[in-house]
Amino acid sequence: MNFWLELVLKLVVVLGFVLTGALVVIYAELKAGSHMQSRIGPYYAGGRWGWAQPLADGLKFLQKEDLAPAAADRTVFGWAPYVVMMSTLAIFVVIPFGPDMVGRDLDLGAYYLLAISSLSVLGILMAGWSSANKYSLMGGLRAAAQLIAYELPLVLAVVAVVIQAGTMSLNGIVEAQSQTWFTVAGLEISAPFLIKGQILGFMIFMIAAVAELSRIPFDMPIAESELTMGYLTEYSGIRFTMFFLGEYASMIGLSAIAATLYLGGYDVPGLSGNILNVVGPGVMIFKIAILVFIIIWIRWTWPRLREDQLQKLAWHWLIPLALANIAIVAVFKVAF
Amino acid sequence: MTTPGMIHRSESAVSVELQTPDMTINIGPQHPSTHGVLRLVANIDGERVIDVDPVIGYMHRGYEKISEVRTYAQITALVNRIDWVSGFANEIPFIVGVEKLMGVEVPERAQYIRMILTELARISSHLVFMSSYPLELGATTPLMHALREREYILELIEEMTGGRFHPNFNRVGGVKPAYGGGSTTKKQAMDIPSGYFQRTLEAMDRMDQICKDIDTLVTGNELIKMRTVNVGVIPADKALEYGLTGPNLRASGVAYDLRKIENYLPYDEVDFEVAVREGGDCFDRYVVRLDEIRESVKIVRQAVDQIPKGPLQAKVPRILKAPKGQVYSRAENPKGEFGFYIVSEGGKMPYRLKIRSSSFSNLSILPWILKGQLVPDLVAIMGSLDFVLGDVDR
Amino acid sequence: MSDSPDTTETEADVAVIDPLEGYAEALVEKVGAIGFTLEFDTVRIHVEPSRWVDTIVTANEDLELFSWLSAIDWSKDVEVGDPVDDVDALEERFEVLCRLSSVQNGDGAIFVATLSKDNPSIASLMHEIPGAEWHEREAHEMFGIDFEGNTHLIPLYLPDDFVGNPLLKSYPLLSREVKPNPGDVDVEPMPAVEAEAETPAEVTSEEAAGDA
Repeated sequence: MNFWLELVLKLVVVLGFVLTGALVVIYAELKAGSHMQSRIGPYYAGGRWGWAQPLADGLKFLQKEDLAPAAADRTVFGWAPYVVMMSTLAIFVVIPFGPDMVGRDLDLGAYYLLAISSLSVLGILMAGWSSANKYSLMGGLRAAAQLIAYELPLVLAVVAVVIQAGTMSLNGIVEAQSQTWFTVAGLEISAPFLIKGQILGFMIFMIAAVAELSRIPFDMPIAESELTMGYLTEYSGIRFTMFFLGEYASMIGLSAIAATLYLGGYDVPGLSGNILNVVGPGVMIFKIAILVFIIIWIRWTWPRLREDQLQKLAWHWLIPLALANIAIVAVFKVAF
Repeated sequence: MTTPGMIHRSESAVSVELQTPDMTINIGPQHPSTHGVLRLVANIDGERVIDVDPVIGYMHRGYEKISEVRTYAQITALVNRIDWVSGFANEIPFIVGVEKLMGVEVPERAQYIRMILTELARISSHLVFMSSYPLELGATTPLMHALREREYILELIEEMTGGRFHPNFNRVGGVKPAYGGGSTTKKQAMDIPSGYFQRTLEAMDRMDQICKDIDTLVTGNELIKMRTVNVGVIPADKALEYGLTGPNLRASGVAYDLRKIENYLPYDEVDFEVAVREGGDCFDRYVVRLDEIRESVKIVRQAVDQIPKGPLQAKVPRILKAPKGQVYSRAENPKGEFGFYIVSEGGKMPYRLKIRSSSFSNLSILPWILKGQLVPDLVAIMGSLDFVLGDVDR
Repeated sequence: MSDSPDTTETEADVAVIDPLEGYAEALVEKVGAIGFTLEFDTVRIHVEPSRWVDTIVTANEDLELFSWLSAIDWSKDVEVGDPVDDVDALEERFEVLCRLSSVQNGDGAIFVATLSKDNPSIASLMHEIPGAEWHEREAHEMFGIDFEGNTHLIPLYLPDDFVGNPLLKSYPLLSREVKPNPGDVDVEPMPAVEAEAETPAEVTSEEAAGDA
């Protein structure tokens, strides 16, 4: 296919998937969260099931006034949401939904992912500082500290997977998981890395991912009941929508990364070859949905950690555990 | 070779003190976690609070001044608006004080009804605490569960008194008898609605269940414990100096419950325990209130069992005049000790009414306890003191 | 010295002494007060203003809970409400009240100090009992009483630009200037009471019976 045609097609598909997916996840959060609180949730927009609620919210935000505080630095204030959104969307370039259904299968897939996703910290700092509001500043500072602290466990967990797979390319990692592990009565059993010894790495990754998303229990930067939205306080309208969509898109993105690295990606045991191009996206979406549901579940059940407890968790517990994980995986890889 | 003015590089200070000025921020008056219009002028340095100056008075309604121009019956209608979360419980000390002044004997049945409604008000107030306190810590789910159960209590109160939050049910000499039935010229005073006690007992079963649910969801939660254990410890002697009463004092180890000490309602005829915990941190204050809900459920069950038959109100003259004298009557409000000092000069209206509101004293400890705390802990401590601005500002 | 209508005395045993009276006498002894008044189960200990802080601190050893502190304005002319019962015999004064309670049992007493209207000022309790600070601020802004030694005597409830002391009897109630007392209107009595009042002979005996 023509390079440019393919490029445009992939862009459209990825953007479409991400934005639609974000809306679906917002709806899921509203519904699942409200049922956990013994409420019904969205009820009117779109009939009995309220499926049009996120759409209605989006349209409402689009028609709002473009407000910025008088003392705010308008350039930085305006660019901040787009920096966050950009770093989120760029993740989806390398995530494979099938052996050929990937934006671009980079050899440095995992490395690229981690590098790009850490750009969102910049966007958040820009938002917090440029809002000319003490609450926003406090939220921005908390965010910077938290996000930087939790980057490390994230990276170290991924390093362990890379060691076990032997390659940084995400397609390669999925294939490593589809390798036969052992045969039992003629049946070839292959297992995702979660079962092949990365259970500790998976937990570290998920905790770090929830912290990267600034969701409860790690939502000190937003901390609604203390700082009235933290670094997001002064944002309204389209800019707020960008942040909001960016958060849910990152949720899908990080779940997709976790599904690829730990749950076997698009692979289904028993199938191989071209059929995976058709079945793969469905399998990936299923695995992403499970992880997203867990993230939503955690949010509605637990309170938030205080800043110093959060930092202690990262530095005292997660990083040493992640290092130990790497050591164990490396030993096993070499020895067996 | 060094000249006196030169400093060798190895001698210069390695660590430079970064001067970061502290910020003065305003928490409130509009803020998601202050219980009403409270403004805290906080001097903070990064995440640490240096000192806090509460500014109150946004809700000052002048109760004490207006009571000087209201008759005793009219004040009864006003009083339940002081601490609006526990509506009925506010009327009790006032009406008991007035009855003491006038020497009116209240029939047993009315006293039991008052006791049942007061305990229902206590459960309702503590359920509000159960819902709003975890919300301040970030747990969003107990809010819905606790408020859902509170609806049952409010329905019960409404069925009996006609009002969910402002019952205005007490009259001098008893409770308000409902008039209905009988002929058009002679109305009969009726008793409480039929089937009421049956519904009350069902609601009490639900209260037991919600206490268990909240226990699982909140008390056993490691994260809640991390946020509240050893946070905001108030030692008993400091609490007594500041006039803290109610669950706040009982969480610091002082078993002071006016229901056992004063005999304003027949609490000595029912069996219940005073919930006390040593420690005085936020977690203890939370557990004390959860235990108090259980004790109140016990009281209501026993009262419903034991309630005697009889009239609902004693005979009192139409124009209520209190003799000359001064009386201090107090009761155990869900928030603490709630008292009225009534100065009467013989007349329809009091000469001076001093309201001792529990949240005022509970709040006065804030400048002392918030010194040096972290900002998230500030919110946790304020929430655990459970004050209502209507009570603070009167 | 003190005396007062003791509500637990009955005609049968005049010799029974209300236990509260014994308690009040012991307390007066202990703190060195002027005297006490006991009515309606409320003990009031009269204290010399110059010995205010010492008295309260001594009493605080047994009565550990500091409950509240406030004041009463005794005036002959009142802008709002009814004047006192016996206007001519009234001595115009301020009374500062402080209530201390015990947490072990139901003991408690209200300590009363009388201040003159011209220069009402009394020592502050804030350094001995920190909780008194807010109560003194409120009494200061409501009555104009000066608490010497209170370093933080700024208004608590009232806005910064408020002029006057609202709880003084001479301070008018603005809404009353606009509209008379709604309670003065005679309300329609309850149907049962009205039906019983139809026979005039019973009216007088019922009203005269008072409480029963």
